[in-house]
This record gives sequence, C-alpha cells and structure tokens, in this order.
Amino acid sequence: MSEHIVSSFDEELNEISDGIITMGALVLEALKRVETTFKNNDHNLAQEIIDSDAQINDLGQSVENKVFNILASRQPMANDLRLVFSAVKMALYLERCGDMCKGISKRIVKGALNEADSEDTINHLINMSIKVYSNLALVLDDYGNKNCQNALKVWRSDSEIDSLYSGVLTEILNAIKSNPDAINTLVPLLFIARYLERVGDQATNIAEETHFIVTGEDLTDEAKIQIENETTF
Amino acid sequence: MVTEMDQNVNIDDVDTKMEKKSLIHCNDVNVFYDDKQALFNVDLNINEKEVTSLIGPSGCGKSTFIRCLNRMNDVIETCSFNGSIIINGQDIYDPEIDVVELRAKIGMVFQKPNPFPKSVFDNVAYGPKLHGRFLNKSDMNNKVEDSLIKAGLWDEIKDRLNEPGTALSGGQQQRLCIARAIAVDPEIILMDEPCSALDPIATARIEELIDELKVNYTIVIVTHSMQQAARVSQRTAFFHLGNLIEVGDTEKIFRSPDNEQTEAYVTGRYG
Repeated sequence: MSEHIVSSFDEELNEISDGIITMGALVLEALKRVETTFKNNDHNLAQEIIDSDAQINDLGQSVENKVFNILASRQPMANDLRLVFSAVKMALYLERCGDMCKGISKRIVKGALNEADSEDTINHLINMSIKVYSNLALVLDDYGNKNCQNALKVWRSDSEIDSLYSGVLTEILNAIKSNPDAINTLVPLLFIARYLERVGDQATNIAEETHFIVTGEDLTDEAKIQIENETTF
Repeated sequence: MVTEMDQNVNIDDVDTKMEKKSLIHCNDVNVFYDDKQALFNVDLNINEKEVTSLIGPSGCGKSTFIRCLNRMNDVIETCSFNGSIIINGQDIYDPEIDVVELRAKIGMVFQKPNPFPKSVFDNVAYGPKLHGRFLNKSDMNNKVEDSLIKAGLWDEIKDRLNEPGTALSGGQQQRLCIARAIAVDPEIILMDEPCSALDPIATARIEELIDELKVNYTIVIVTHSMQQAARVSQRTAFFHLGNLIEVGDTEKIFRSPDNEQTEAYVTGRYG
C-alpha cells in the first residue's frame, strides 16, 4: 500500500505500530526472563521483571493517546481504521501479558520455587513458558510484517498450551491430595501455570486481531471450531 | 471493475442481503462531452428508500452520473448519452418521456443553495404551480407547510414565509431547496455535494434530514466527504476516471473494500 498524501498521517500510524511492536518486544523479554527464573529461581531477575512492567504500561497508555488523537484528527478509514482500532485492543492484550509476567515474578520473589520439590512441575512450567513465548513471538512477527500467516498455527498451538496447563493442574492437585500439608507451597505454582496459560490466550487474541487488520475479516467461529475439533486434550 | 449487470429488471430486483428492492437500474451507461468520454459502461442498481453515496476524486464522473439520473445533462449541448436507465420499468431516456415531469419525480439539490429570488412561500409553491397542482389556496398552503415540515424548516421560518428565500442562512436555504424538491412529490432526490458550502452545524442538520427523508424517498448523494458518506448512506459507489470501480454496503467499503483503488482513495493514499 502506497503512502498517504499527508505524510504526517503515515508517521502517526507508524508511531502506533511501533508502539505495539515495542510493547511486544518488552513482553517477550519479560517472558524470556520468566523462563530463566524458573531455571535459576533468580529473585533479582524476578524483581527486574516486576519493575519493568511499568514501562509496558506506559507504552500502552502512550499508544492509547496516539489512537485517541488520530481518530479525532484523521478519521482513518479501511485498513488504517482497522490498524488504529485494533491497536487499542493489542495494547490491552500486551499490557495484560505484562501483568501476568509480573504476577508470576511476584510469586517467585515470595518463594514459590524455593520449596517446590517437584522438578517435573517446574519443567512443565518451563515448557509452557517456551511454548507461550513461541506463540507470542509468532503473532508479533505477523503484526510487524503485516501478514497473518501464523494466526491459525497459533490457534492450534494454544491447545497444546492448554493441555500442558491441564497436566500441571492435575499433577499439582494430585500432589495436594497425597500430601495436604504441601498446599501452601503448591498453590503458587498453580497460579503461575494459570498466568502462563492466560498469556497464551492473549497470543491467540493478538492473532485474531492481526488477522482482522490484514484481511478485514474476523477469524470466524467456524475456523476456530474446526481447529478445536481437530484437537483433543 | 465491478459491474452490477441487471439486463432484465424483473430479475435480481431484490438485493437479498439487504432485502431492498432496486428502484433505479443503470445499464451500460456511457456519457461523452463531444469526443471525450466521461463515463464508461457503468452498471449500477440503486435501492429504493435508502441512501446511496457516490464518491471519487474530482473529475471521476460522479456528478456526470448523478445528472444522468434526471437527464440534467440534456441541457448541455455537447453531452451525449448511451445505455439505459430504467426506473419503475421505464427507460427514462425513452424519447417519449416528459422530461419536465421526470424532473418532478426525481428532484435535485445542488452544491450551492439556489433559492429563487422569491418569497420562502413562493419558492416551495413554485413547483406545484408549474405542474398545475393545488389550485386551491388552502391546499397549497397545506402543501407548503407539509414540505417545509418534511425539510425540517417549518419551526424555524413559519413566521417568515413572505421574506425572500435568499435572506435565509446558507443551511436554511439548502433545506428550502429540499422543501422545494419535496413539494412536487418526488420519488427520488438527487443531491450533488449538498453540504459543501455549509458550516458543520448546517451540515449536521442536512444529514439529520437525509436520515429522515430516506424513509420515504430514494436518495442519491455525491459527496467528497468520506465521513459523510459513512454517516448518511447505506450503499456507496466509488468512481474513478469515469469507471465504476466498486459498489457495496457502505460499512464494507469503509471497513474493508475489495478493490485496492477504493482502499487507496478512502484512506487518503490516492494519487
């Protein structure tokens, strides 16, 4: 698509897209650090994740302000309107992802991993974080490249994350059943798994949004049902 | 290029998605000014009792096209037409058509308000008088009042009926012109950039009026304002260099048009 007659309109749209891409990069960085903290139980790194969430929130606010101004001053249409409208939702999804990473890190700082004696559970959390990172990276890549080739792939892959979450859930509940005294040390892990699963959900939301920006069409329920029917967990 | 071929008016009369009946069937419309062709093979159906916007850059043929719909181009000597425009089963370019009567049935409002240099009352009464209607004074009074009410002007000027129409504000003059068109019971109202000379408040009043009028009239509007097209119309047709490029539901045209040229134009990338 060629440039606008008014070049400052292009600049303003680029600022919005760049804001989303930067938010995405920060969230990916936070997720990568989460994975490291799972491996090392590094409380300092976890604290850094908590502190860096403010930057993600500020960027989200900045994107919202830019959208507000561009709607008022440019009245964008068609693909521009889709990009601007979706930016608000994308910023919200990414801001939530940042919150989840912060939530995970808070629990780690409070010692969620200190007394966790199940190496399997930690490994499952690591696997989940790797999958979630991969999905989020794919959809953010699509967004940056203005295509949606990974949208359905991410939808399928999210089912795997859901399966991993179900596995961790079952594992922890069974451990609590067999040793009720371990409930205080195991429940934080449950929350961590839940947070990761929700970041995975946000990746599918971003996939949907990118699909809408690129095609102008919603990722239909039919397409989702077909994917769900293909997958059992 | 998108076409809406509808060679037989008895077929495809109904837009099944919108459940709207097509009232105007334009088939293979070509218009020339001397040797220069201004419209190329335009096929377009216009649904009744809804608003259709014609958009496109200057010189794209949208005004030429709207003026075909009530044969206003006939007054331009160098202008020639071929194709057909069928309304209510009748080709309006049939030589036996009474053009004066046709223009009563298909009223037109122009870019610049053009009230006659007469009183407000006479401006509205002019058309019915011309067509020999309402010889009774009481009926004429009722007609003028009814037309001004429908044009959303009665409350503002009911005490100024004897003042010159030209003394009204720009927005009021434009609504007076709409009342004048309504007074001869048209089926279709054509509007060629009706708000381009008006301020935002007067524009809003005209847009509100268009919304009310579409209940009873089929409206075709030429506009340079994409936002206005999005606000007032149910269908939008995009013209470029004399060709109809794309026509569809207004929401679709402004959300995700099928044609790249349409998208370039509505997003401000054209040129």
